[in-house]
Amino acid sequence: MRKRTRRKTGMLVLASVTAAYLALHGMPQNNMQVFAKSEDEIVLRVCNWEEYIDTGDWDEEERIALDNGVEIFGEKPLYEDFEDWYFETYGRRVRVEYSCFGTNEDLYNQLNLGDTYDLVCPSEYMIMKLMAEGRLEPYSDTFYDKNNECNYYVNNVSPYIYNVMNTNEINGERWGKYAAGYMWGITGVLYNPEQVSLEEASSWKIFADERLKRQVALKDNVRDSYFAALGILKADLLTDEEFRSAPDYTKRLEDEMNDTSQETIDEAQALLEQLMGNIYSLETDSGKADMVSGKIVADYQWSGDAVYAMDQADEDDFELCFSVPKEGANLWFDGWVMLKDGIYGSADSEKQKHAAEAFVNFISRPESAVRNMYYVGYTSSIAGAQGDDTIFEYINWCYGAEDSEQDTIAYPLGYFFSGDSEDERYVITASPEQVDRQLYAQYPPEETLKRTVVMRYFNEETSKAINRMWINVRCFDIRDVPAAIWLAVIAVLLLIVFLCYNTGNRYRKFAEYGRNGG
Amino acid sequence: MQLKNKSRFRLSRAHLSLPYGLFLVCFVLAPLFVIIYYAFTNGEGKVTLENLLGFLENPKTTGTLLYSFGIAVVTTSVCLLLAYPIAYILARGKFRHKSVVLMLFIMPMWINFTLRITALKEILTIIEGNLAFHPFLNTIIGMTYDFLPFMILPIYTTLLKLDKSLIEASSDLGADALQTFLKVTLPLSVPGIISGIFMVFLPSMTNYVVLDMLYNSTYIMGSLIGAYFAAYDWHGGSMIALVLLMIILVFTLFTNRYADEDAGNGRGGVVSR
Repeated sequence: MRKRTRRKTGMLVLASVTAAYLALHGMPQNNMQVFAKSEDEIVLRVCNWEEYIDTGDWDEEERIALDNGVEIFGEKPLYEDFEDWYFETYGRRVRVEYSCFGTNEDLYNQLNLGDTYDLVCPSEYMIMKLMAEGRLEPYSDTFYDKNNECNYYVNNVSPYIYNVMNTNEINGERWGKYAAGYMWGITGVLYNPEQVSLEEASSWKIFADERLKRQVALKDNVRDSYFAALGILKADLLTDEEFRSAPDYTKRLEDEMNDTSQETIDEAQALLEQLMGNIYSLETDSGKADMVSGKIVADYQWSGDAVYAMDQADEDDFELCFSVPKEGANLWFDGWVMLKDGIYGSADSEKQKHAAEAFVNFISRPESAVRNMYYVGYTSSIAGAQGDDTIFEYINWCYGAEDSEQDTIAYPLGYFFSGDSEDERYVITASPEQVDRQLYAQYPPEETLKRTVVMRYFNEETSKAINRMWINVRCFDIRDVPAAIWLAVIAVLLLIVFLCYNTGNRYRKFAEYGRNGG
Repeated sequence: MQLKNKSRFRLSRAHLSLPYGLFLVCFVLAPLFVIIYYAFTNGEGKVTLENLLGFLENPKTTGTLLYSFGIAVVTTSVCLLLAYPIAYILARGKFRHKSVVLMLFIMPMWINFTLRITALKEILTIIEGNLAFHPFLNTIIGMTYDFLPFMILPIYTTLLKLDKSLIEASSDLGADALQTFLKVTLPLSVPGIISGIFMVFLPSMTNYVVLDMLYNSTYIMGSLIGAYFAAYDWHGGSMIALVLLMIILVFTLFTNRYADEDAGNGRGGVVSR
């Protein structure tokens, strides 16, 4: 999830406190004693994004009654429901120690400081990084056994997501071996249709548009801003008809959008420095509110947050739309991965792994997926098994047109549910305006997804270069200071020194008088 | 009392400082050493000066230092210019409800600071139309708004404690009001000014939340350190933190003499009996 990358206010405090923790504990394996207490109980340590799982406690009127007869209601947090379900199904007690992280980088730092978890849910690039570092435990073969009905993940995951996870590799290994998809989405442009045309919002160039000076916002993180910069730099190539109709279009697009050569980074820096003069702000969270209040008219946005902002705008009778630029957009997902440190640091690694896999399976049940989607607002990777149309009915419940509506359009989602884009069972009948709004953002149509690519992780060297580039963009350059300012600064400093000296002398005289005369 | 006779342990005043001592070691000293360790080592754990040179040679990091310094100097000056007259009037003036007026200036401190800045953001938007055109100005306004009470209070306290007989003496000896102010009141209020500067200058060099909330995307020292840590560069980040610490230390040593004399004199005035 990209939503929660807001920078922590207490970064400095955090750094020093964690440093102290490190100094005191060294690299602790202190969870061991937990197991000593009760032998039968498995303690599963799960770390997820903040506010990224249904915590129950729904009001009665929130009960969702779907057309297929299924009722969804969140009473207890999902991880507590899991504890009950695990005991009923496998006859063993498990206790979930549930904790949260704020950003992928925070999680990575926590892991390096010696925090141990069995199951964590980072974004795709962090999964790749952890995979490349050999810290992940692969899912067992039984996890992928479709014949076992308790294997909810493999039975319910969307064929589209499953395909993405299993066609992408890091060091010759499929992601799908190590990660189970949780939520996914794309990036795009959230825009105000009164001020910006769909055509303008269909290109990343909107952020360089002089007409919208100081009315557009980019993201306050290097990966997203770099992606937008690449989209602008390479726009001519990416929108070229020949390039787009090439048979290996996806592969080539992926390579272009993962271009981290030094020349490209330098060009991106120059462009971003120029964009800094055109944008309203670099935001993480404030963009949604600023779109709704009309301070800005276009915003680089993650699909889930875009849905949230459009919902907010709807409440204020104000319209916002979402578009995916024609140059290409970023496809991202968060997935559950098991950490070797946690699984093998526990008393019985086999039981531990079983519980971890069961947890993934439990939250991959369509009911759990709906509860999470309802609470979190993002799109789940779960589509539902053949014959179970809970998820589809939920989308219909959210976005389907009323029976009374006249002009409706057919919105095919077969690619997501059955892998067959022509599949007539999975067509949402929606009002036409949904085509560039919530439904479009939450479940983009297949032809839009063709121009989305996953952004790979940066290896150490690239990561350094990119971070340096970002710091350069964000920092004030001492060479930009005009001579007049330097002179003024020197003059002010001299004045201050003079005043200090003068007043100080007088003060000391008084003080001396005070001492002597006392 | 009985307990005292039985056991050899006697609770002395020194023991009361134990909890804080422990706190100091765990949360101040230990992290400080960790920072120093990281600042002078590289990824392989070897001692190096690379991080320091990297900081000094990069025009962007030194630029950030200058930018933060600029913000701090301007904020402090504006605060001082605003606060001194207010504090003076409050301390010297003959109000019937002095405490009420003082409270008006102190009250903003009781309201959560992010809430205040959010409100300020909306007010500024109404005035300026689009905030993004004046990031530096907005930052100064935000910082001043945030830190003004910290400047008013110490100056007010010092002026309040000031011995009035000195001012009377000054006018008895023929000085006019301006002369009295410049040659008696102002010099005597230096300790208050210094501690006010302290409380405003240092936080405004690192308080990047104000910048973030008011859409100033330029890094200052606080956010720069954060960026280094987010990029897993603990060594570079620690070095910047250390450089900042050193600057603060030098600043403290430079201004300490005034504070010391203030403490030595007692009662903030010159006349000690």
